Amino acid sequence: NTVPRLPQEGHRACILVDSREITSGLEVISSLRTVHGLQVEVCPLHGCDYIISNRMVVERKSQSEMLNNGNKNKFIEQIQRLQSMFQRICVIVEKDREKAGDTSRMFRRTKCYDSLLTSLVGAGIRILFSSGQEETAYLLKELSLVEQRKNVGIHSAVLNPSKCEALQFYLSIPSTSYITALNMCHWFPSVKKMANSSPEEISACAQVTHQKAEEIYRYIHYTFDIQMLP
Amino acid sequence: MERTPHAGAGPVHVPLGHIVANEKWRGSRLAQEMQGKVKLMFEEGLALADFYLSSRCCILYITEADLVAGHGYRKRLVRVRNSGHLQGIIIVEKTQISEQYFPEVQKFTVLDLGMVLLPVASQLEASCLINQLVQEQTREPSRNPFLRKKRCALSEPSLVQTVQQIPGVGKVKAPLLLQKFPTIQQLSNASVQELEEVVGPAVAQQIHSFFAGPH
Repeated sequence: NTVPRLPQEGHRACILVDSREITSGLEVISSLRTVHGLQVEVCPLHGCDYIISNRMVVERKSQSEMLNNGNKNKFIEQIQRLQSMFQRICVIVEKDREKAGDTSRMFRRTKCYDSLLTSLVGAGIRILFSSGQEETAYLLKELSLVEQRKNVGIHSAVLNPSKCEALQFYLSIPSTSYITALNMCHWFPSVKKMANSSPEEISACAQVTHQKAEEIYRYIHYTFDIQMLP
Repeated sequence: MERTPHAGAGPVHVPLGHIVANEKWRGSRLAQEMQGKVKLMFEEGLALADFYLSSRCCILYITEADLVAGHGYRKRLVRVRNSGHLQGIIIVEKTQISEQYFPEVQKFTVLDLGMVLLPVASQLEASCLINQLVQEQTREPSRNPFLRKKRCALSEPSLVQTVQQIPGVGKVKAPLLLQKFPTIQQLSNASVQELEEVVGPAVAQQIHSFFAGPH
């Protein structure tokens, strides 16, 4: 019987995990919980694999997918989508699970792989390399500790059921991440209060950059024109 | 080309499309592989890095032997990190022998120092990767798909979507409400009476209490 060691900060670090990861990354989730003692909340994040702080998302990608040119555009689109929502992005390139006797999966570096890596580096997106799901969990924990030390850790992922409708409302604001919507639910007493807030107040409650807060503010004050509906 | 020795951490001049390489790499497999693809210039007295892609970006190369030898490589990384004017990209030989040390290097470089780390299996792989890094450095930033400016999407369809999240409001009522209260802010401040001019009393009440918050 081993008691999971808690992070030094006193309260358990929290990570949001996309519900799709239950099928593809079961071992990551269970390692996060049992080995690293993190609070793991499985939520419908619609393609954001792991949200580890108010500003950072982690995309878990298998090495074979990065090597294959056929997946390139899909990968680029996915990262661009994350860029619209998050200030910081990290990609964890995970080695594929080896099957006994399968030699076809030998790692052969491709130009596509190198060009993806250098484009990510050029855009300031972090890359980590993992040998498998267990190591991925360790890397996620370490990233989450770094973010906590910078005071951008996730405060709470538990949502009052009476606020579910407000959450869906906030999520429909373009380029709003799940954690931003969750923070708005926590820190605005009502949706009306949010809709009448200044960019500064939005920045403080939603825990976003000033630029992002301005974007949300402009959306709330955007004048609807029925002619512009397609 | 004039060669000025670089004592210490002064900026290194790198002509566009060239790589300035530390003299110690002359004749190496890595240099030979690269020479066919990019123009290499060897310089003596480069204290900090192995290769310079530009005056602000350099590569530190950690060999399999460096890794096995211990933590000696760390000093070099910290010096580049503290130089203030240089972005350091670390290329590390991750082979069957050095693999076991990789997680430790990665934690130190990426998580503690916040630098870029890229593993390669051999000097041949490194030469292809460095070549790609030079291409990335010399092309216009807008050619990088992750630096491309995003197009602004129309807000109207999103606004209809947002208003549909209010309980009791569907496809039909959402545009009607937005025609009468053309911003989310105005809609949030509408009284029950004002809302009743667009929707029935029950839905007007629902919308009003949604904005007013939990009771």
